Amino acid sequence: MWKYSEILMDHFMNPRNAGSIEEPDGHSEVGSPQCGDAMTLDIEVDDSDVITDIKFQTFGCAGAIASASAMTEIAKGRTLDSAMKISNREVAEYLGGMPPEKYHCSVMGHEAMTEAIRDFKEKRDGTAAALEKILAGISGGPEVKVVHIHPSRVLLEIDGDDAPGVCASLSGELQKATGREVEVKVV
Amino acid sequence: MIYLDSNATTRMAPEVLDAIMPYLTDRFGNPSSFHTFGSAVLEEVELARGKLAELLGVSPGEVYFTSGGTESDNTALESGVSWDPSRKGIATTSVEHPAVLEAARYLESRGHALHVARVDGSGVVDLDSLREGVDSGTGIVSVMTANNETGVVMPIAEAAAIAHEAGALFHTDAVQAVGKIPLPVDELGVDMLSLSGHKLHGPKGVGAIYIKKGTPFSPLIYGGHQEHGVRAGTYNVAGIVGLGIAAELARQHMNEETGRVRVLLRMLEEGIVSSCPEAVIAGAEAERLPNTATVLFTSVESEAILTLLDMEGIVVSSGSACSTGSKDPSYILSAMGVPQMQANTAIRFSLSRYTETWEIERVLEVLAPLIMKLRAISPYSR
Repeated sequence: MWKYSEILMDHFMNPRNAGSIEEPDGHSEVGSPQCGDAMTLDIEVDDSDVITDIKFQTFGCAGAIASASAMTEIAKGRTLDSAMKISNREVAEYLGGMPPEKYHCSVMGHEAMTEAIRDFKEKRDGTAAALEKILAGISGGPEVKVVHIHPSRVLLEIDGDDAPGVCASLSGELQKATGREVEVKVV
Repeated sequence: MIYLDSNATTRMAPEVLDAIMPYLTDRFGNPSSFHTFGSAVLEEVELARGKLAELLGVSPGEVYFTSGGTESDNTALESGVSWDPSRKGIATTSVEHPAVLEAARYLESRGHALHVARVDGSGVVDLDSLREGVDSGTGIVSVMTANNETGVVMPIAEAAAIAHEAGALFHTDAVQAVGKIPLPVDELGVDMLSLSGHKLHGPKGVGAIYIKKGTPFSPLIYGGHQEHGVRAGTYNVAGIVGLGIAAELARQHMNEETGRVRVLLRMLEEGIVSSCPEAVIAGAEAERLPNTATVLFTSVESEAILTLLDMEGIVVSSGSACSTGSKDPSYILSAMGVPQMQANTAIRFSLSRYTETWEIERVLEVLAPLIMKLRAISPYSR
């Protein structure tokens, strides 16, 4: 049996943020071909690029489950850029240390995070591209200024009378283009 | 503690401990000595040999003591490729214990042809595949009596016939089978057989090799006249005496215990399959030892299960361990065609005659919630 710290065992026995998010902003599925472990990660991100919710699932040993749990705890409330920088060492320290043979278990968590953020950005780029295309196709309408783009949310400044109507029609077109429900809001 | 890892090692029988104590204390004489103090101990060694021979249904003169199963296996293979210069090849199976498989690969590196026969999906050796690699150049065929991980019992009489048709010798690693199932060694056509003391409630560090009378043989270990030159080295008297008592106990308990243990194993298997979704028994279709079940839990990783069971004081094992970044799934399960992911969900339960009903009940009580807990966080669970 490995010498695990009490904190690590607590995270293994009572994993934080275990599960999945329906329609997450970012999703990843990664695996370690070396040891056959696998992990999924879902993130929800607010308009300031801060991770507001995070859920994981892990197929792996106690070390893998605990380090995934710890990684999600560290990531929650952090910006994407900051979450991307969560290192194995940080996860191991958070858990009160790990047997050196188990360091590799936490690598999967970092990969899952990187991939989930990449997925988030890809979706966001998709929404942005779709919006740009739709707006370019509109002529003579109200003036629209893009404030913020999120995979499933777009914040706009609309200069005109029928802002709710514009939002509704943009939302419908964005859903058609991206395959996701995209909320369009006016600030 | 609930000990269900008897294929790793067994609890020493109290009778064995009582029997060996004098040889660790007052009766420390060397059986090879001329004086009465030593030579009297030789009589005890011979008594033990007789008891072991009786368990195997062979003559005492065909039983030689060794340091354990690994030495016996190595001895058999080394001797099996040395008795005829035109017969230097080895044929074995893909699911042998490393004591056979690694020794065979070492011999291969020294120029001996090696044929490794396939097993089918149940873990039983494919006799056609074995036959393909046995010919006039084969010195020895080695097929285990029962597999350590799955408990699957091999058709060794048929395998021995294949060896003998080609003029080769036949060896079986019976380390997991001796004491668990009746083994009419003579009827099976076995030329050499390996066994180990600590797998049948005897001491560690002692084993034996059966060598059928008339079998050509050359030793692995040289240095003294002990065991008629078959195995040199001062007698491990306490170990040998303990093995003798363990063999006697195994013979006495054979019917009663394999019956009761088999019932407990069935209870365990049925309980697991009915309470844990997707759980399957490896080699379920094959004839198996009455004490062994490897369960593939399918969507939860074995080391996580082991860790949780360990916390409950339940001792079992898995075919693989996740360490230093590599986890080789059990080569035995892989040989049976079990995919890597599923092989990494295997837990082996191995019972013994000391296993009690309440222990199995307790395992069943603890196991299902624990599996459900891990399934809840597994990306694979359906």
